[in-house]
Amino acid sequence: MDLYGSKERFDIFPEEPSGRGDRSLGDTRRESALSSEKVQCPQEVGYDLEKEVAELAKMYGLDEDREKELELLGGHLEKVESRWSPAHTEKAGSQDSIYNISKSSSSVRDSSQSTKQQGLPDEASQGENQSKARADDEAESSIWSRGGLSSGGVSDEWNSQAVSEEEEEEEEEEAEAADVFCSTCKIPIRAFDKLFGDHKDHEVAQLPSAVESEKEEIHKNMCKLEEQIAQMENVASHLEEIFITVEENFGRQEQNFEVHYNDAVQVLAQKYEEQLEALGEEKRQKLEALYEQLVSCGKHLDTCKELTDETQELFLENDKAEFMKVKSFNCPKFLKQEVDLELSTLPDFEERVIDVSEVEQLMNSINAIPAPCAPVINPQAPNAATGTSLRVCWGLFSDDTVECYQLCYQPVSNERHSDGQAEHTLKVKETYCTITDLLPNTQYEFWVSALNASGISPPSERAVYVTAPSPPTIKNKKIRSCENAALVCWESRDINPVDSYTVELSKLTDEENDDFITESIVGIPNCEVLIHLQPTQKYHICVRAQNLGGSSERSEPVLIHTTGTCFYLNEDTAHPLLAILDDGFTISCDELENPECDLPVYDNSFTRCIAILGSLIPFPGKHYWEVEVTEDTEYRIGVAFENTPRHGHLGANNSSWCMRHIITPSRHKYEFLHSGMTPDIRITVPPRRIGILLDYENCRLSFFNADIAQHLHTFNSHFQHYVHPCFALETPGILRIHTGITTPPWTALP
Amino acid sequence: MALKQISSNKCFEGFQKVFEHDSAELKCKMKFGIYLPPKAETGKCPVLYWLSGLTCTEQNFITKAAFQQAAAQHGLIVVAPDTSPRGCNIEGEDESWDFGTGAGFYVDATEDPWKTNYRMYSYIKDELPKLINANFPTDPERMSIFGHSMGGHGALILALKNPGKYKSVSAFAPICNPIQCQWGKKALGGYLGPDASKWEAYDATQLVKSYSGARLDILIDQGKDDQFLSAGQLLPDNFIAACTERKIPVVFRLQQASCFCLIFGSVQQAVKRMSVGGQACSHCGPVPGHLRRRVRSDTSCRRMGHQGVRHPPDSAALHH
Repeated sequence: MDLYGSKERFDIFPEEPSGRGDRSLGDTRRESALSSEKVQCPQEVGYDLEKEVAELAKMYGLDEDREKELELLGGHLEKVESRWSPAHTEKAGSQDSIYNISKSSSSVRDSSQSTKQQGLPDEASQGENQSKARADDEAESSIWSRGGLSSGGVSDEWNSQAVSEEEEEEEEEEAEAADVFCSTCKIPIRAFDKLFGDHKDHEVAQLPSAVESEKEEIHKNMCKLEEQIAQMENVASHLEEIFITVEENFGRQEQNFEVHYNDAVQVLAQKYEEQLEALGEEKRQKLEALYEQLVSCGKHLDTCKELTDETQELFLENDKAEFMKVKSFNCPKFLKQEVDLELSTLPDFEERVIDVSEVEQLMNSINAIPAPCAPVINPQAPNAATGTSLRVCWGLFSDDTVECYQLCYQPVSNERHSDGQAEHTLKVKETYCTITDLLPNTQYEFWVSALNASGISPPSERAVYVTAPSPPTIKNKKIRSCENAALVCWESRDINPVDSYTVELSKLTDEENDDFITESIVGIPNCEVLIHLQPTQKYHICVRAQNLGGSSERSEPVLIHTTGTCFYLNEDTAHPLLAILDDGFTISCDELENPECDLPVYDNSFTRCIAILGSLIPFPGKHYWEVEVTEDTEYRIGVAFENTPRHGHLGANNSSWCMRHIITPSRHKYEFLHSGMTPDIRITVPPRRIGILLDYENCRLSFFNADIAQHLHTFNSHFQHYVHPCFALETPGILRIHTGITTPPWTALP
Repeated sequence: MALKQISSNKCFEGFQKVFEHDSAELKCKMKFGIYLPPKAETGKCPVLYWLSGLTCTEQNFITKAAFQQAAAQHGLIVVAPDTSPRGCNIEGEDESWDFGTGAGFYVDATEDPWKTNYRMYSYIKDELPKLINANFPTDPERMSIFGHSMGGHGALILALKNPGKYKSVSAFAPICNPIQCQWGKKALGGYLGPDASKWEAYDATQLVKSYSGARLDILIDQGKDDQFLSAGQLLPDNFIAACTERKIPVVFRLQQASCFCLIFGSVQQAVKRMSVGGQACSHCGPVPGHLRRRVRSDTSCRRMGHQGVRHPPDSAALHH
């Protein structure tokens, strides 16, 4: 057997250490030892907890209630602590460092330094760094577990693992030249030991591979820990929220109790007062009655005495006559008087019932539901409305019990007196409601009351919501475009103004005609927008109107090909004798003079030259279009500024440039007119289809015989303003205008 | 066919060179000017042939026309040959300025003593293009021709007699109808003999009347106050009338120039015409029947972006 070349042989061993059972056994032993150790220092732990609680309280900004919270939390945490105590395999001496870490981990988690402090996973770190990091992580996990938040299993395992590694390290120092790793004993050993020592029958792995697998394991655990940290942070923030909610609920309940008990106390006090007063009154009456009786009794006594005295005196009287006289008068009369010896007043008081029913009711009402407070209606959430529906939301300030809500609305109108604006009322269970069948772009006023068995709340404030606008209508015939842009205009279908418009573009590809929006232009204040596009593409363009409530449905889309320049003829500029045929691009003139001479003349129309202007997109670059002509028609075609004089001839002024065809008896004559001047040019083949290239960038306007790609003439002019195509007929005939044509390459010529 | 470089000058990032070679056609040493644009260093370029007028050598155009910038910009090789054989020691060749040396009239002479050497038509049509294509990075399928006065006449007849050979043809104050004018009668009579019917083979106006083949697009510039126009040497109207009748597309521009001279801008326009006419269609290959094809929706043709080069209308007069 090859004793020294044992490497190869070790390679066949599984990489994962298999002695897991032994290890966990050892761990348990160790744990129990440590937990007993732990029992010896409950005070320290308690101290730490208090500190921690203080820290927590600070974190949650609960300083004012700190003492109370501390008490509460302290008690709670002690319980938690005792529950988690097995997880605590820390030595008592390391508690302080744990505390420090908990501080740093909560306050400086995000700073870069914290990596070092916390010893967050760093794969490349050396042995001692690793062990330090491990210890730190242990500490951290235990911190979190102490908060009662961690799942005990992981940290448990982790701690025990850490412990076992500490052991390893200790032993590693002893074994100086360890080169293999005994999976069974979890220690590095010398290869020699494998063969002859204690580890003879143990499974071994090569040290580097063992380290690798161990590192991997550590890394995994690191990841788990990080996950847990994130989880814990989440939980912590959740708890924070709960803290606040508890506080709020407490306050509300407290207030509620205070109100109701105060009521009860007041009622009781009042009752007491009332009863006492009634009692006193009775006493007074009784005493008065008794006193009167006493007085009358006394009087009677006096009278009796007097009569007795008189009688005695009478006895002593010697005068028989006198005696008889007197005696006969007083005594019998007095004796006839009945003496009232009945006791009219009883010493007993009336039986009084102490009536606490009212209080009882009050007391009951503390637990029973009060009538709710007025709900709070939310302002309109943006983009939640459609053209015909609104979603209204509201809420309650208090914890009132509400069975349902009563939602009322009516359209907002400026005329107050209009009774037609009916008020609608709905009963709603939820704190929101979607109202349908509304008018687009209209304001509605909403208010809501809450109802329960005890009654109805006052109505909320009134909130004004507005429905989304109707989709606008794109003016199909007024679209102007060229290779790089399009000018789209539309009209709103609503009477009320809208806030803005959004234009949505979708580029159509050949493969799939899916309408996915490739671009949106938002916040367009007017009913017109210039959109930059890419050449030789197809676009679907639609418009939405936008107000506070949301956006309308899309308008009908329009299709734009950016193959060439498209313009339309501006009918307002047409001379009265010039007619535009149905296709919109053929102009004709039947007669040069109108016999009736009563043609309507618009402000903007040509009066002298039988002409019309096109509306070209105001966009730099190149624009190309073609005009089909017949050989026997005289015409002027070219470009002109928008404000070119309407009473003059095209080409006769400095605001128009045109090619003119004149038929002379001998030949076709062509002029290229600007400011009334033309070069002397002879063209041997009369063009039937004239190509016109307007090139703003190169400051030129060129004319071509498009059928044979022949250049005829070029004006070189720096156009100060945007120009428009112009067309004029000088003899009866027709001109056919072709737009949307790709600029032919041969136009690059002159 | 060996070329001997006479001169070479850097010019607008390209080179203006002059070469000398032994001409098989003319049986003498001939010089020609050639401008090689910067683009010629990396790729094949179309060739534009310039035919000069009476008395000129290859030097006139090189030094006076100032075409090089436009040629550089558009990537054109411009070849300017001499106007006649030289040093052939033919009796009477130097007697007059409008016959013999410097007045080859771009015909193949049939009369003695001229018929051996004075074969300028064949020289321009075959020998020179072969030489140029063999020695320079040219695109043989793309060549155009233009000229002035007698050279204009040469350009017109070469284009009319070889439909499809040239992508475009332009002429400045050309002799349009030599059989009707003094210069033409003298030269054609001298080179071809007294039989006037033979002259018609070298007369643009006559050639147009029987022209059939590839569509031509002819541009003619003419100075309004040209003394030879009024002297009846050039007769463009005859040519225009013939073209109108035959529906050959011509744009004839009567310019406000004061004399029989070249308008600088016109040369440049002619150069540009060539460049577009030649280059734009390179993708489609040569198609007889169209000197210039309309190429739609071919972006690469459009991408070339020809910037208009503007110069003051400085008249750079060449000799006739």
